[in-house]
Amino acid sequence: MPKPDDAAWAKILWKKQPFSDNYVPQNLFLSSLRRNTNFKPYTYWPVVLLSCAITQHISTIFIFLATFVRLRERLLDPRTLVLISVACFVAGYTVWSWLDVAMISKADRNANHLKALKSSILIFFALMSLSPVLRTLTAATSSDSIWALSAVLFILNALLADYSVHDGQVHERLTSVLSMNAAISASVVLASRLTTDVAVFALVLFSVQAFALFPMLRHRLQASTTAVQCSLTLGLALTALSLTAPLSWTVTCIFFMTLVSVTFLAPACLVWAQKFKNEIRGPWDVAVPKVN
Amino acid sequence: MTPLSIAMISDFFHPDVGGVENHIYMLSATLIGKGHKVIVITHSHAPDRVGVRWLLPWLKVYYIPFLPIASSATLPNFFTSLPYLRTILLREHIHLIHAHASLSSIGHEGILHAHLMGIRTVFTDHSLFGFEDAASILTNKLLAGTLKNVDAVICVSHTGRENTVLRGELFERDATAPSKLIVRNNVYVIPNALVADEFKPGPPKSTDIITIVVLSRLAYRKGIDLLVATAPRICAAFPNVRFIVGGDGPKLIDLLQMREKHLLQDRIELLGSVRHSDVRSVLHQGAIFMNTSLTESFGIAILEAACAGLYVVSTRVGGVPEILPSDMISFAEPEEDDLFRAMSEAIRIVAAGKHDPQRAHERVKTFYNWEDVAARTEKVYDAVMKSPQIELWERMQRTMELGPFAGPIYTIILIVDCIFFMFLEWWMPREDLDYANVRWNAERFARLAEKERAKTMQSTVNAGG
Repeated sequence: MPKPDDAAWAKILWKKQPFSDNYVPQNLFLSSLRRNTNFKPYTYWPVVLLSCAITQHISTIFIFLATFVRLRERLLDPRTLVLISVACFVAGYTVWSWLDVAMISKADRNANHLKALKSSILIFFALMSLSPVLRTLTAATSSDSIWALSAVLFILNALLADYSVHDGQVHERLTSVLSMNAAISASVVLASRLTTDVAVFALVLFSVQAFALFPMLRHRLQASTTAVQCSLTLGLALTALSLTAPLSWTVTCIFFMTLVSVTFLAPACLVWAQKFKNEIRGPWDVAVPKVN
Repeated sequence: MTPLSIAMISDFFHPDVGGVENHIYMLSATLIGKGHKVIVITHSHAPDRVGVRWLLPWLKVYYIPFLPIASSATLPNFFTSLPYLRTILLREHIHLIHAHASLSSIGHEGILHAHLMGIRTVFTDHSLFGFEDAASILTNKLLAGTLKNVDAVICVSHTGRENTVLRGELFERDATAPSKLIVRNNVYVIPNALVADEFKPGPPKSTDIITIVVLSRLAYRKGIDLLVATAPRICAAFPNVRFIVGGDGPKLIDLLQMREKHLLQDRIELLGSVRHSDVRSVLHQGAIFMNTSLTESFGIAILEAACAGLYVVSTRVGGVPEILPSDMISFAEPEEDDLFRAMSEAIRIVAAGKHDPQRAHERVKTFYNWEDVAARTEKVYDAVMKSPQIELWERMQRTMELGPFAGPIYTIILIVDCIFFMFLEWWMPREDLDYANVRWNAERFARLAEKERAKTMQSTVNAGG
């Protein structure tokens, strides 16, 4: 064997080279290895801002639960809740159509308004006529099972919800549909623990607001300015805390800890863990075909 | 070198068809020709291929009764193969086992058990894997566990070696500078080969119509999306070009839709799956071979096409750039525009008659042959047989280096394997084994065959008379 010399070595198989088969060219070996090529390090505050969506969602769940407890304990008149729901809907819809102004023509906007009005009236009456059925739906089931079931469903809802940012056209994914269904089912089984039809109607109407319509609005607001995001998050979190606090001190503590860890601790962990990132790329990777 | 008894172990072998299967068979046959004794151990095939079979040229194949779970690979369970392998390896007086393919669990198990009987181990890796997805992470850990204690590793291309060294963690500390990591010196590169005489160029064709051949599994990894995007453009730009596409797979539907959409039914012929014995006749119909793979460890199909005298256009991926000199192959990046450019160039070269199929065939013939591969593999075997066997204590130490979780698990497997082996030694003592002492005798076989033929001739003559 001649003296190993990297300059004479070529990365080819078709020609017999004057090197043994286990010769490793020190300078050329793994020369095409790339580490962390597509790696964009996260910084702390933008991640905190992105986590706001999760905070908002968890806050919504707790607002809903606090409302349910108040209805069950008869601390809240169901008719007031219906009024609040309608007010929320009107406010939310105003914001929604205000966001639409820039994107959609006037004729389309009017058609959309009519459609929205029609479907909201439809849902309103459908829920109203269904509420006696929903009230007795799980009469044969013990309350313990209902609490466990609704807890599982709400956890599923929070895990599967779509927290991504997208503007304009919402592309529904299977997970976000499942998430919404889990939340509505959870509220239906909870509603079945209430005693009057009006209360059931009020709670389910509120759940449609909170878990079907609000996430859609949230997606669009997420694309807007930081100030809007922060104030919305803060507003929701404070509302949830103030509604939970009078009911149970323990739950409020747990809820507060959850919010802090999701918003501030988890992003810090992510930023810290980035230093372990070691993405290896090389000629053996499956290429991504570029098609026009 | 002194003749050895070698056991090739892999999940992938005849009657399955493929690159690994063919490699094992050809290597075994060539080694037998060099005077070694070679057996193959693989899993059984439904309905009745189980037990011992013989393949020409006196290659003994053990089909042990394990059922494959997916893509012809068996479940990795570490221990259940030990009774079978122990009996086979002892009765055949095996000196060395040669495991193939990183997804073949029976090969890994062979390497795990071999040291118990003082048998040496070699491993050949045939494919490239990434590092990202969950499946790769798991199989790479499995591979790293096996390769910690293997005596030598062979890869089929330089790119494949880089990949295997990273996946199998084939580093060790430099003896002179302990902080530096260097590649273990028992990692070899020995390419695949082909039987050039099986891929002779066809009769000369006129250059009026240029046929482009594509032979590949129609799957995403083979870059069929690129083919779907470029084929209509090539057909529009060159009216004298037609395509022949052989192969089957999930992307067939895309090709059919493309053909329908651009009304190219008369110019793009889809053959469906092509048997290996028909590959040559398909290649003979074409002048250009197009390969759009997105990853490829060696690319034996490209070599076969080049050997059959076709001009090759390929994507620049994996080990493909290593296998042919640049004047026999045109490279394109895996992008639609670049592939179109490379194909246009190739069509012009072939149309101008600048590519000589006969000369290409003669050249490929000098590049690769099984004799050379077998001789180089023999050198690896020789180095392995001369190297000292790794002691059990060192095996355990090396295995512990795998990591805080995998290390202890693998060490426990190693120790349990030793205990299981001791149990088997007591339960099925070596003295009671049925040793295979008689080797295949070629002369005797020829004599018997001759006698048998004479007998049949005689009976035909008698019947005729």
